[in-house]
Amino acid sequence: MSCQLEMVATIVGTGSTKYDKHPASSSRELFGEAAAEAFDGIDLTPADLDAVYVGNFMGDLIEDQGHMGPLLADHVGAREAASVRVENACASGGTAVGQAVHAIESGAAEAILVGGVEQMSIADIEHVTDALANAADDVYENEQGLTFPGIYALMARRYMHEFGVTEADLAAVSIKNHNNAVANPLSQFQTEVSQEEVLASKPIATPLRLYDACPVSDGASVVVVASESFAAAHDLDPAAHVLGTGQSSDAVALQDRTAITHTPAAERAATAAYDDAGLTPADVDVAEVHDCFTIAEIMAVEALGFYERGEGARGAVEGETALDGRRPVNPSGGLLGKGHPVGATGVGQLVELTKQLDGRHPNQVEDADVALAHNVGGSGASTTVTILGGA
Amino acid sequence: MPAWFDEFTAAIDSDDQECLVCPACGDRTLPPRQFCPACGATELTPEPLPGRGEIVSYTEISVTTPKFHGETPYTVVLVELVEGVQLTGQLREATDDEIEIGDEVRLDTEPRDDGVALVTFHPAPES
Repeated sequence: MSCQLEMVATIVGTGSTKYDKHPASSSRELFGEAAAEAFDGIDLTPADLDAVYVGNFMGDLIEDQGHMGPLLADHVGAREAASVRVENACASGGTAVGQAVHAIESGAAEAILVGGVEQMSIADIEHVTDALANAADDVYENEQGLTFPGIYALMARRYMHEFGVTEADLAAVSIKNHNNAVANPLSQFQTEVSQEEVLASKPIATPLRLYDACPVSDGASVVVVASESFAAAHDLDPAAHVLGTGQSSDAVALQDRTAITHTPAAERAATAAYDDAGLTPADVDVAEVHDCFTIAEIMAVEALGFYERGEGARGAVEGETALDGRRPVNPSGGLLGKGHPVGATGVGQLVELTKQLDGRHPNQVEDADVALAHNVGGSGASTTVTILGGA
Repeated sequence: MPAWFDEFTAAIDSDDQECLVCPACGDRTLPPRQFCPACGATELTPEPLPGRGEIVSYTEISVTTPKFHGETPYTVVLVELVEGVQLTGQLREATDDEIEIGDEVRLDTEPRDDGVALVTFHPAPES
């Protein structure tokens, strides 16, 4: 807020379904449920929206449904708003958020409903694995038999080799996030897991096991983003301000990256977001990061500047990223515990963090004033970082 | 599959596989590319790509896609063939507990029913 002329994007409403298997539901129903919650209690109607942005990854592959922008705008009562589906694999939601924030900050729009949705559980596990593989390089990876968990397994194996990290260290991330999920009513898993259970779970792509991986989930999350002036004119009470955004890309194929034990796109996105906000990693009170696999949270906390390279496992192992730790990471339960309805995840992180800044999260972090969301597409080829501040 | 990949794997079969080298910065990459990913230069030059390299990482896959249904478990290896060029393929003639990061492997391909060749690697310790 160094420049008085810049429009500030604020979050004036949030809503989310529970992340779970909802095989009897559909994207339009899930999205509508989340949007209805966002509009409940605020003096804003869908007709006030300039635009609807929808993060969605695999609608055309699982539900045989593309063109989600207008479909879902219509289903939330905003038939005439500009609408678009944003697809950036697992970073679809975070990317949609960034696009909405930029539109507000530029003055091109004053109120946008940005949401994400995914319906996955109606397909069997091989078809979901196949759909997720669309985030990877089809020719050089998928057609060679490398799966999406397999890509993270290659990163994990090399990381463990270089930095002396063990399977028990990875398990600490899973244990922490599953335990955080217990108190979150939006979480898919609401039972604690032990180290024994994690280490005894079946391998999916060695060295990663079932409990190193997030589940298949259905769900939708939305936030209503508005300019500060629009919020004031409509007597809306902002729950959070967007302080900074950053986004960067990398090669899609792991074999084409300059690094596989850290995530350069996330490092660049984080630097851009910190610069945009005028903040440093030390200012962040709470973070929701993209822990699609245990190894991913370890690399995330390094990319965000919370830990040096090779040191990220310390967060969970030593309790520093636990709820009562120095800087809690994934108090929602993360993707591992809360679930990962792919296109919804990046928006859902903002729903969680807005509650933290508003002081009404079931796992409330004391005095949370600056919150950060980190959302990754594929195995790191696209990453968004969003920093929120209390209103 | 695109024709360029068929050409790439056919070249492996005759041991004349190539990578692309950037004339401006020297960065090596795999086909097909018009732009150097490191510096953005064009007119990349083909260069012979070694047929053996070192294992950078590996994983035994137990949950797979419909294409590989019934073939689990199998092991995928990421191999550095020359500085800056890594290639992904399936391990043959060994299981994941018989290999280590840094082991030498030999590049090959294998025909599949769908007509698309699979990239494979075989243990090839230096003699």
